[in-house]
Amino acid sequence: MRKLSIVALAAASALALAGCATEAPVAEEVTGAEIRVWLVGTDTPQEARDYLVETFAEENPGNTLVIEEQAWGGLVDKLTTNLSGSDSPDVVEVGNTQAAAFTSAGAFLDLSDEYEALGGDDLLPGFVEAGSYDGAFYAAPYYSGARVVFYDTAMYEAAGLSVPTTLDEYISNGVALAEANPGVSGIYFPGQDWYNALPYIWENGGEIATFENGEWVPGFSTPESIAGLEQIQNVMTNASAAPEDGNEAEAQVPYCAGQIAQLSAPSWFKWSILAPADADAPGCPDKEESLGVFALPGMDGGAAAVFAGGSNIAVSANSAYPELATSALAIMLSEEYQTILGGAGLVPALTSLGDTIGTDATAQAISAAASNAKLTPASPNWAEVEAAGVLQDFFVKIAQGGDVATLAAEVDARIGEILNP
Amino acid sequence: MALAPSGMRTPAPPPVDGGRPDSAAAPRPRRRRRPLTPIMLLVPTTIVLLAIIGWPLLQLVIISFQEFGRPQVFGAPAPFVGLDNYADVLTDSAFWAVLSRSFLFAAVNVVLTMTLGTLVAVLMMRLTRFFRLLVSIGLLLAWAMPALTAVVVWGWMFDTQFGVINYLLSQLPGVDMIGHSWLIEPLSFFAVATVIITWQSVPFVAFTIYAGLTQVPGEVLEAAQLDGAGGLARFRLIVFPYLKSIFIVVTILQVIWDLRVFTQIYALQGIGGIREQTSTIGVYIFQTSLGTGDFGAGGAIAVILVIIMMSISIYYVRKSIQEETL
Repeated sequence: MRKLSIVALAAASALALAGCATEAPVAEEVTGAEIRVWLVGTDTPQEARDYLVETFAEENPGNTLVIEEQAWGGLVDKLTTNLSGSDSPDVVEVGNTQAAAFTSAGAFLDLSDEYEALGGDDLLPGFVEAGSYDGAFYAAPYYSGARVVFYDTAMYEAAGLSVPTTLDEYISNGVALAEANPGVSGIYFPGQDWYNALPYIWENGGEIATFENGEWVPGFSTPESIAGLEQIQNVMTNASAAPEDGNEAEAQVPYCAGQIAQLSAPSWFKWSILAPADADAPGCPDKEESLGVFALPGMDGGAAAVFAGGSNIAVSANSAYPELATSALAIMLSEEYQTILGGAGLVPALTSLGDTIGTDATAQAISAAASNAKLTPASPNWAEVEAAGVLQDFFVKIAQGGDVATLAAEVDARIGEILNP
Repeated sequence: MALAPSGMRTPAPPPVDGGRPDSAAAPRPRRRRRPLTPIMLLVPTTIVLLAIIGWPLLQLVIISFQEFGRPQVFGAPAPFVGLDNYADVLTDSAFWAVLSRSFLFAAVNVVLTMTLGTLVAVLMMRLTRFFRLLVSIGLLLAWAMPALTAVVVWGWMFDTQFGVINYLLSQLPGVDMIGHSWLIEPLSFFAVATVIITWQSVPFVAFTIYAGLTQVPGEVLEAAQLDGAGGLARFRLIVFPYLKSIFIVVTILQVIWDLRVFTQIYALQGIGGIREQTSTIGVYIFQTSLGTGDFGAGGAIAVILVIIMMSISIYYVRKSIQEETL
């Protein structure tokens, strides 16, 4: 009897507490509010995080801002469940290719009125497009991160190679390096790493999917894409020693173990390699001298079309304090904050701050790569292709040595199903 | 008691008898108090169960009849589509592949877990106090480890490049396993998953059956032994019948747990392997609902799974009740 009444009491109080959460926010002069900001991954440097928390506290006395770090893996699922609840975070970072899934679903607050104040036409255009839906502006650009190639200069020297100027040269260098150093990846290419597979498709003239006559037409089985896929299979089998079903996370571990000669990675990957040896995710700062970087070369020289990674940032439609949340978002798009991001090797959301990433070799490679970066298909359903792991599965099967044409036809059928529901 | 034969449903009680009402009045309050107390006792539990299990289940059933995507999660109206979701699911070959894969996987794991668990329990009966304590602590540690942590740890052990298993196997002369991926082949993937899941399920089975074994009367076993029954015969003819209800309950629980397994498979897919070839029903529901954003179809699959689970449990529950009343 006693146990049961305790359970009943607990249930009753749980219900009572749930009732409290729906209390209406007071529009003016809110104090004691806690704004929750979701940043994803470790890309945002600590300096920027501190700046955000401190500036917010100064501008909004009596209120606090907390940063909750989320992981990229499973982000779409997590945002779907959390943004729809009453306990929604206030400001969220979302991958640029995932933004459409939420802008189209009404998960974000309409920021059209704030567009000019946040930077207007100075904002990265491709990202503004990714964050807009049906003529309204929901998710602001946060930063862009182009992929560049990191390589081991010592291994290059030992093999007598020079920095490649075309994609074919890059591949042949990779194969040569793998042959010269058994157990080493000439080009590190784990099977699940579909982001780094896209340049091969694009450089051969292929597309993931094109929008024709009101319908998405998947393009992996076009002759151009097949040529790219064959290049990828060649790299995976002849140049890469990475796990055929591995993912691109924690690549600094094999790099620091001396098992990677070249790899294409987001620009901030440099800081993973150079992390102190006693950090939580240890790197190998002693390899700084032999760490070289260049922009992935295209088929005909120049920078290749690489995947334009990056993030958008938005206010949850269910935020209890939309005004405070918007002011937090404004801080993150301020010149000071974006300058800090630029200093950390991220392409700032404001195009006028493009030169803040510096002038060293890494910065030049980033600028070159960003100049020719491309996005995934702009469909609200694209995030579902990513979340279902369709492309990861596809490229793992390519890495296994499967028949390219058959696999391409299969994956086109799946992508077509998802993009044209 | 409540179901009186229809023939007995005569209109009103005869008010003719003068003495009856008085004599009936006395037991009536007593009879009323008796049914009221159990009901009152059951009310809080029922409310809690309805709130935390009944309500979500009802929502699930409703969603399974609706077109429910990501916009509906954020408040767009959800139109009813009748049995469309069910028709889509039941005609999808991927669903049947996943379902049969799940059953096969669960069957292997249940048999393995029950066998190993029983063996460990029998072993514990024979151990000295010290070693029994040692085994118990070992079992408890495996049991107490969160599933996700277990997968991460085992995942590192089976890692393609830096895993200790590949390293140790490569120490054998003539074997080079460095760079061997344990997860890329579906069969090998499920072998790893089986190791992780069995490792974590054996403790529960072992403890429960050990508890049951201590209740088997020693004199019966002794008598059987004097009559010349060997160890296997004693277990089959005496211990097993005594513990039959325990075996049934534990097996049902294992079937349910292994059939709807989620964390281990989902986390392992993140480490390696091909999702499409390794999804079990629990992961498939998650991928359909949250991954693909089709909560309607995901709901339909979940309802189908609930029905399957219920028919499994009802069969066994009814069987055990029948045996008890006999």
